[in-house]
Amino acid sequence: MPRIRTVLLVTGAALLAKRAMRRRIDASPLWPLPALDEPVSGRPRSRALRLLVTRHETVAEGVVQLRLEGEHLPAWEPGAHLDLVLPSGLVRQYSLCGDPEDTSSYTVATRLIDAGQGGRGGSREVHEQLRVGTEVEVRGPRNRFPLADAETYVFVAGGIGITPILPMLRAVEAAGREWRLLYGGRSRASMPFLEDVEKLAGDRAERLTVVAEDEGGRPDLAAFLADPAPATAVHVCGPEGLMEAVAAALPAGADLHLERFTPHTSTEGNGTFEVELRRSRRTLTVAADTTVLAAVRAELPNTAYSCEQGFCGTCQQRVLEGEIDHRDELLTDAERADSMLICVSRASGDRIVLDM
Amino acid sequence: MSNTQSREPRPDASERIPLKARKVSFSWEDTPLHWVPGDPFATHTINVLHLLLPAGERWFVHVYKQVLPYIRDDRLREDVIGFIGQEAMHAQAHDEVLPHLKEQGLDPTPYTAQVDWLFEKMLGDRTLPPGKARQWWLMERVALIAAIEHYTAFLGNWVLNADELDRRGADPTMLDLLRWHGAEEVEHRSVAFELFMHVDGSYRRRARTWATAFTALVFLWQRGARFFMENDPTVIGGKASFKDFYRGGKQGTLPTTPDMIRSIPRYLSRSYHPSHEGSTAQAVAYLASSPAATAAEAATESLPAPKGAR
Repeated sequence: MPRIRTVLLVTGAALLAKRAMRRRIDASPLWPLPALDEPVSGRPRSRALRLLVTRHETVAEGVVQLRLEGEHLPAWEPGAHLDLVLPSGLVRQYSLCGDPEDTSSYTVATRLIDAGQGGRGGSREVHEQLRVGTEVEVRGPRNRFPLADAETYVFVAGGIGITPILPMLRAVEAAGREWRLLYGGRSRASMPFLEDVEKLAGDRAERLTVVAEDEGGRPDLAAFLADPAPATAVHVCGPEGLMEAVAAALPAGADLHLERFTPHTSTEGNGTFEVELRRSRRTLTVAADTTVLAAVRAELPNTAYSCEQGFCGTCQQRVLEGEIDHRDELLTDAERADSMLICVSRASGDRIVLDM
Repeated sequence: MSNTQSREPRPDASERIPLKARKVSFSWEDTPLHWVPGDPFATHTINVLHLLLPAGERWFVHVYKQVLPYIRDDRLREDVIGFIGQEAMHAQAHDEVLPHLKEQGLDPTPYTAQVDWLFEKMLGDRTLPPGKARQWWLMERVALIAAIEHYTAFLGNWVLNADELDRRGADPTMLDLLRWHGAEEVEHRSVAFELFMHVDGSYRRRARTWATAFTALVFLWQRGARFFMENDPTVIGGKASFKDFYRGGKQGTLPTTPDMIRSIPRYLSRSYHPSHEGSTAQAVAYLASSPAATAAEAATESLPAPKGAR
């Protein structure tokens, strides 16, 4: 019976050791294991919240502003957006346009876009179904359009694109920095928050240029953007055409920040692009009707993945080059900067380089 | 030890079903600190799960991603892929309870920082020469996971049948989290063991890693329960003892000690196969009625949802 004797000896020794250290253990139950300096657990990625619609008002022609109430809401910075999970299950993103200090409610505004104008039903649902008293699930906030640090600021907003710009203006004004805003729209009646920006401009009305197409035609971007002061950050949110025009009017090397008005992420809009797998020294083409994961698995069959819907996070890969069109619901902003979930996310350009 | 030939593990085929991750979410606003009413000890003993699982199950995923190239059986690979997604969701779901505990004045960070160290550093990838050493460390971890999964399936099976928790009026959201998790653990209980048998299967390794896993679990669990009891702002002079655990088992709010002891020789038996423990049918039946799992099912059906105009 040598084995039983060993077991008994070890158990006895363990009990004796425990007795000897009893005081030490009692003093602190967590003695004596090392710990990670920056723990990973307990910092959830994005919490889904259920918020109550407590205000639903028309703030301009075709524009509805919603107030969503909850408790201890996560903080956000100007430029951030929320994901709204609409009653039909569609997920839509809306910029926060309220007060970042307010931790009991979020404010978003949305313009109704008809099917004829390329709308895909999200804004109609917001307008017609998110009535006062409805609960809505939101995720985020996330910021893909943070306010740059600069001496002076130039903002260009087109129509509903004013929503992320508005809290930026308030922050810049509060910090006492110089700013100018060009705000364009179809007509004054259709431009939300016009009064708010006029109030912000106050006595120095020259800081604000409002261009309504039905009055003054097209905005003169070249004049507005001509020779910006050094250390000026330009933030633009509006339709694609506006952003292209701003980019074209600015001198090369300008500090330009864009928020895509309609993220080109609809499944109908899928493009074909190339994926380079740098470590495996392979390049493959991802067709519009397939995913990066499927294309990669054809080459590297042992690639890890699981849910194939962008929520479990197994297929996360590091991205070395190329713009990412994120379509998952999991990654944090920091992770989005240099990685993607290859089961759902795609390239926004025509090429992307993965570290695999 | 003489009749090893005739005692190969034999799976019960009727217990196997395809696995998929469910995208659950829970909201914790209404869950009280002592979610088993009037029983802080049972609450905190079960709460230790939230301390161990986020780091532990992330580690499972990390290890299994590396073992995929060793799998030569397509059906098993499919199971492992489903298993990985389920474990990743378990880690996420339990992780979300931690901030809620902190809000209620019971900050778990001192403990989770240690568990994180344990799984990320001590059991993480070591700087080993490629080849034998590296493979040895991988297989050791695969075997550890198989042993731990024996206990997660045991606990999953227990919580699915813990009617006493319902009778005591335990918080429904917390029960749903535990039972959704427990049901998925029962659902995939064979995967870790089958994977271990497929890539290695040595009995010595199984016994050795069982001893390590069992000791570590007991060590971490009692420590976690004592940590919670001592730091709970609403319990003065809180202590956790084995006697309380034994009593909890008798009352049905915790697993019983005899059951736990009986599960030891079962895992060490040469004919052990997880499919002989627990019932897939019961797990599937719970998942079909679980509020979180059914909501996840409904949400997944409407996917993929394109993002759109502001």
